[in-house]
Amino acid sequence: MKTRIKRTAPHLRVENFGPIKQADVTFGDLTVFVGPQATGKSILLQLVKLLVDTAYIKKEFNLAGVDWSGDFSGFLDVYFGEGMHALWEKDTRIAYNGVSVELPHRVEEKLALRQESMFYIPAQRVLALRDGWPSAFNYYDASVPFTLRAFSEHLRLLMSDFGADGTLFPVPRRLKSEFRSLLQSHIFPGFDLRIDTQHAQKRLVLASKEKGGGSLPVAVWSAGQREFVPLLLGLYYLMVPSKAPRRKGVEWAVVEELEMGLHPRAITVVMLMLFELMTRSYRVCISTHSPQVLDAVWAVQRLKEHGASASNLLQVFDVEQTQPMIQLAEKVIKRSMKVYYFDRTGGATRDISALDAAAEEEGESGWGGLTEFSGRASTAVARAVANSKKEAP
Amino acid sequence: MTAEQAVNATPHLNGKWEKGLQALRPEDKPYIKAADTRAITGSVDVDTALVRVDPNANRWDFAIGYQHEDRDSECLYWVELHTARNSQVDVVLRKLRWLLRWLAGDGKALDKFERDFVWVSSGRTDFTLNGPQRRAFADLALRQTGGSLQIPNKRQ
Repeated sequence: MKTRIKRTAPHLRVENFGPIKQADVTFGDLTVFVGPQATGKSILLQLVKLLVDTAYIKKEFNLAGVDWSGDFSGFLDVYFGEGMHALWEKDTRIAYNGVSVELPHRVEEKLALRQESMFYIPAQRVLALRDGWPSAFNYYDASVPFTLRAFSEHLRLLMSDFGADGTLFPVPRRLKSEFRSLLQSHIFPGFDLRIDTQHAQKRLVLASKEKGGGSLPVAVWSAGQREFVPLLLGLYYLMVPSKAPRRKGVEWAVVEELEMGLHPRAITVVMLMLFELMTRSYRVCISTHSPQVLDAVWAVQRLKEHGASASNLLQVFDVEQTQPMIQLAEKVIKRSMKVYYFDRTGGATRDISALDAAAEEEGESGWGGLTEFSGRASTAVARAVANSKKEAP
Repeated sequence: MTAEQAVNATPHLNGKWEKGLQALRPEDKPYIKAADTRAITGSVDVDTALVRVDPNANRWDFAIGYQHEDRDSECLYWVELHTARNSQVDVVLRKLRWLLRWLAGDGKALDKFERDFVWVSSGRTDFTLNGPQRRAFADLALRQTGGSLQIPNKRQ
């Protein structure tokens, strides 16, 4: 029987970094960040990327001719995006795995060049395909965050992996057949994703499966399709079509706001694919505003506690109980999952991994604000039903 | 009519109205979080008071009176403290049906107060805030509040 090598959980402690006043995060096999807009979820994830891929990031900037001339503020502006130099303050403190990190020093020091260890799928991923084809790192100006520029560059290079017929989806050796079938039903009904050439310029299109059905360029795709295609390509990058479970060197996979533009059924498929990443031993980090994502984490945790079977987990996702999916669920149910709430009040990040709906703390019972509205709706209706047609006492 | 007067006018409850949360067992009191404890007008242990009258029924636990700032009259919080597990849904719904029947009969003096029917979880709950169970309970007039009942000053 194969045993999984237990990895030490990375730990990040941050004080006074932009909107984050205090964060103490231990990463699980899956780590989920929730919280209102502009509370620092993305900043924290980008910071982890900066810490684990410093040398790689500097090399990419160097190749693109980006030079901050030793000015740390300038570096913050090109890495996090224009105007973000204010993130760093005099009292900013960062410790990664218990070791204090002096970020300005780390950015300038000579580091041994290593392969990229975190693959980052940013929330603005749709911009990577705005012209129907991914742009090079250098196409973007210095105001654009590194994570978007690097993501776009990865997709551009990925395009050369696809064969002469130019089909990106469905492709036999990419993704489990169960995923392909679900994606076809929920995201690309009646269409294939293909590379097309128009006036000598390559572009992505959704090609109708029907004879003479024509092709749709990016501009006329649904919002969900526009959001999903760059995510799909990012997942292709991570799920290498070889026996190796992971892309060489890459240990982390970050997906920001996986739910963007997607119907809940499509979110279900994306969650399953993220679970697949976990089973390939990627450390997966996601940010989300979707209560459905936390429903999935809650279900996995509770099913695990109650010794439920893989079959029970697959019922949650309403997928066929094939052998590959049962194996996937068996692995997922053993993985560690952490959930952190970025609370605007006080700027502290709280561990709400227990997802206890009975917790006295509103941030935990309301799952970082994602289920508060439902809670209020139920209360209002219950109260109205309890007091309908009542006379004064 | 005050809640205390209504309790005293109710068969088998006469004299059972207690000050504050005194009708609750000491171990149950921490589940009730009132914004202003002075606004708690009293409480009554319905379960114990009616055990001889209706020994085999699934009786409701207790009621708490509260005077909200934005109400002229007291409101009653009918509280059932119970394990919040899927397996217990039928039991609690039987209790609720019993309570509604009782309020329509012997408890009619108390039926006139503005109220909430509240299921407080004694322990962790199986029901998420956005779960379908909570919506189903709401349609039956029942609030599932999680691990405590928070009573604010303004009911709104």
